[in-house]
Amino acid sequence: MAETSVTTPSARVATGPGRTPSARRLLADQVRYQILLLTRNPRAMMFSLVIPVMLLVLSSSRRGHLDPRVEEALVAGLATFGLIVTAYVSHAVGLVTSRQEGVLRRWRATPLPTWCFFAGKIAATALIALGSVAIAVAAGAALYHVHLSTGAALSLLLVFILGALAWAAVGTAVTALVSTAQSAGPVLMLTYLPVILFSGGLGSVSSEPGWLATIARYLPAQPIIDSATRALQHGGTGLAPLPGHDLAVLAAWAIAGVVGSVCFFRWDPVRPRHARQPR
Amino acid sequence: MTAIEVDHLVKRFGGFTAVEDVSFDVPAGQVAAVLGPNGAGKTTTIEVLEGFLAPSGGAVRVLGADPRRGGRAGRAWRARIGLVLQSTSLDMQLTVAEALGLYAGLFPAPMAVAAVIQMIDLGSDAMTRIGALSGGQRRRVDLGLAIIGRPEVLFLDEPTTGLDPEARRELWAVIQSLVASGTTVLLTTHYIEEAQRLADRVIVLADGRVLADATPDQLRARGGVPVIRYRLPPGKRADDLPAALAHYVDPARGELSLPSADLTADLYALVGWARQNRADLTGLEISPPSLEDAYLSLTADASLSPLMTPSPLMTEPANSQKASWNG
Repeated sequence: MAETSVTTPSARVATGPGRTPSARRLLADQVRYQILLLTRNPRAMMFSLVIPVMLLVLSSSRRGHLDPRVEEALVAGLATFGLIVTAYVSHAVGLVTSRQEGVLRRWRATPLPTWCFFAGKIAATALIALGSVAIAVAAGAALYHVHLSTGAALSLLLVFILGALAWAAVGTAVTALVSTAQSAGPVLMLTYLPVILFSGGLGSVSSEPGWLATIARYLPAQPIIDSATRALQHGGTGLAPLPGHDLAVLAAWAIAGVVGSVCFFRWDPVRPRHARQPR
Repeated sequence: MTAIEVDHLVKRFGGFTAVEDVSFDVPAGQVAAVLGPNGAGKTTTIEVLEGFLAPSGGAVRVLGADPRRGGRAGRAWRARIGLVLQSTSLDMQLTVAEALGLYAGLFPAPMAVAAVIQMIDLGSDAMTRIGALSGGQRRRVDLGLAIIGRPEVLFLDEPTTGLDPEARRELWAVIQSLVASGTTVLLTTHYIEEAQRLADRVIVLADGRVLADATPDQLRARGGVPVIRYRLPPGKRADDLPAALAHYVDPARGELSLPSADLTADLYALVGWARQNRADLTGLEISPPSLEDAYLSLTADASLSPLMTPSPLMTEPANSQKASWNG
C-alpha cells in the first residue's frame, strides 16, 4: 500500500504492474467526489446554505423585541436546522438517488472498500454541514448581538461535528426505509421536522408539555441546540463547557445509526412490486 | 485458460425460477454473447457472475474465483473485472473526465483518462456534465468506467438496449476495439445483429436453459436456407409463374418469397420463366440464411417442445465448449 507520487487523476498513467492505491488516496478521492456531488445539487445547497440565513434575516426584522438571550438560541437553532438538513436530508436523498440510479451497485462492484465509500460520503457531508453552520453563525454575528470567542468556537465545532456525524449515520440507516428518490423527501421531512420543531430549533416552544420536553432531550436535535446556545452565550476565555448528557445522546444516536446502517443498508435499487419478477 | 465457468447454475427468487440449468465456459480472450428473449435468464446469469446474486444451485467461477468472495481477495478480484449494468449507472453531476478520473484512482494500473476519452469518442465532451449527455454518450461513459481499470473480464448487460442505430454502431466500434486487445467479454443482448457483430460465440438462453451454444455461423447454418425474393412486375400474376414457384407468392403484395433448399434449381426456373415471358428481374434478391431465422426457429422450437433433440452440429460446437442439452 504505497503512496503514489502522482496526484491529479488525469495524470495517473499506468507504468508496469502498478500498485493497489493507498487507503488514504482512495478516501481523499471519495471525499472530493462526494463534495462535488453535494455542491452541484442546487436543492441541497439551497436548504443547507440559503434557507437558514434567510430565516435569520427574516427574524432579524423583529429583533427589537428579542431578548439577547433568545437571539443566541435563535442563531443556534437555525444553524442546527441547516446542519440537520445537510447531514440528514441531503445526505440521505443523495444516497437514495445514487442507489436508484445504480451508482451504488456499480461502486459495490469496484475494488473500493465499503468502509471507504461511507467514510468519504459522511466526511463530505460533515464538511458541507459545518460550512452551512459557519455561514449561519456568521450571519447571526452580523445581524444580532452574537459574539464568538475562540474557546466558544472550538466548543461549537465539537458539538456540530458530533451532531453532523450522528445525523449522517441515522440518515444512512433511514435510506433502508425509503424506496425511491421521490419518496425520500417526504419521509425524511416527516422525521426531522417534528424533531427540530419540538426541540425549539425554529423558535422556542413555550407551551410544550413536560413529557414532550423530556423526549426532545433524548432526540438528536435539542442536545445540539442547547450545547450550541450555551457555547454562544459563553463570554469567558477558554472552551465553553459542554453538557455530558448532550454529547452522550449524540454519540448514542451516531452509534445507533452506524449499527442500523450495517444491518439494513441496501445497495441495489428497489424494484417496484409490480415489476418484481427479474429477468 | 478458462475465464468464466458456469456449471449447472440454478437461481430461484422465491417460487420463481429465473435460471433453471445453465452451463457454459468462456475461454480467456473470447467474446461470448448470451442471446435470448426477455425473461430467458440472461441478466440473472450475468448478475451471478458479477457477484451481485448468490446462486441457488450449481457453481460459477470467474478468473478462477468465486465472485461472492469478500475481503481483500475479493477486492483484488474486482480490480480485474469490468462491468456495464443493464441500465446506465452514472452520477449526473460529474463531468466525463471527473468520473473517469475518479474510477482510474481505484485500480492498480489504470488506463490514462485521456486515452479512454479518446476510445469512447467523447473528446469534445470531456468537460461536459454527464447529465447533459445523450443516452448513447452516457452509455459510452458507462463503458469507459468499465474499462479504465484494464479488466481481464468485461461483463456487458444489454449494452445497447434503448439506443438509436447510430449510437449502437458507435458503441459497437468501441467494444470491438477492446476485443482486439484480448479482453474476455460476456455480453447479454436481445439483438441478433449485435451478437453477430461482436461475438465469437452465441449462447442462446430461453426459460432459464441453454438452447444452443455455437458460433454465429453455425447457428445461422442451422437456421436453414437462403430466401429468394422477387416482386412481380406490373401485369404479371402469380398464376403466370411455374406452379412450383407460384405457391410462394403472397398475392396481396405480389411478391415471391421462396425459402430455397436448392438455390440453383429454383433460380433456373425463375430466370427461365422471366426470359420466356420477357419479365424484368430488377429487384430480385437472394438473402443468405439469417441468424435471426435460426434464433427464431430455435426459440420457437423451445416453446413448443421443451425436450428438443440436439442437432449433431449443435452438440459439438467448433470451440469445443460445454453445451447444456438436458433441456
